Amino acid sequence: MNSVVVKSKEVTLLEILDRVLDKGVIISGDVVISVADVDLIYLGLKVLLSSVETMEKLRGSPFISPMQEAK
Amino acid sequence: MIENRQLIYLYCVADTEPKMKQIEDCGNDLYSVCHNDLYAVVGKVDQQEFGEEGLKRNMADMEWIKAKAGMHEKIIERVMADTDVIPFKFGTLFNADASLKAMLEQYGQEFKAILRKLAYKQEWGLKIYYNPEKLKANLGNDDAEILKIEDEIKSSSAGKSYFLKKKKDELLEKTLNEKINECGQESFELLKELSFEARINRLLPREVTEREDEMVLNSAFLVDKDEVGDFRNMVDTLKMHYEGKGFYIDCTGPWPPYNFCGLSSRKGQNE
Repeated sequence: MNSVVVKSKEVTLLEILDRVLDKGVIISGDVVISVADVDLIYLGLKVLLSSVETMEKLRGSPFISPMQEAK
Repeated sequence: MIENRQLIYLYCVADTEPKMKQIEDCGNDLYSVCHNDLYAVVGKVDQQEFGEEGLKRNMADMEWIKAKAGMHEKIIERVMADTDVIPFKFGTLFNADASLKAMLEQYGQEFKAILRKLAYKQEWGLKIYYNPEKLKANLGNDDAEILKIEDEIKSSSAGKSYFLKKKKDELLEKTLNEKINECGQESFELLKELSFEARINRLLPREVTEREDEMVLNSAFLVDKDEVGDFRNMVDTLKMHYEGKGFYIDCTGPWPPYNFCGLSSRKGQNE
């Protein structure tokens, strides 16, 4: 009955990178990965995670931006 | 200085002792460090690979990132099978157990508070995409105003129909945007009601998603385990309503709670 796809193959990498590289607790350990390094990852992906401006350009979306529910 | 020094890579923190057997196939050098009733799951990694120089080099190597990010996720998921965890961001590294313990000391109370919040809950992800062509085709068929203009176009002179067509296109565009927002907002609100916490993340462009469809909503929900059934039923209801109309709803989980363990930043740092 339940058609929720749990971690299907194709989305896995995107979903994982979207979380592992970008979320999770951020603590400055003894080795610092600078923001520039993280940008490099996305360049490596031939990808730039969209900046807010790019997103707005993609589609004017009034409800997306200010609603960061989690604190 | 020793030639091939090792660093300590932190995967996650839990408040019950993690079963290290669960992750013994994820590398030889995994162990847990206990401090003040908190358990950090860590691994030894080579300085050459994860030190500042090595990271700079490796972060440009997509295959390396794929493998290491995948392993990061796998280890946390395994630990999560038995206990609530706070997942850390990729590449959180320490020089020695001592500095890791100092960090656990500094943030201990906050980690415990976060773990109390996370207890008996799961993170679920929801991404919604839309296909502009399909959506437009669909709108043309059931929007009364658009159908009316189409009728007028048929019975109009060439000149007039030119303007009517322009008007129709504008109306289509406007209705399209309304539908997109409606779908994103409604889905988010309905699922949020079934969640303990919810958040909206930035949209990913098509270059990242490698889909032809455009992303409408990228969101995450922290759901009480007792509510997961209702949550998934609601996802199915939304799918039934929106898929076939040009939307695609992609729900994944349960995930480690990457989106719901933010530190109240500044605080704690100087305490």
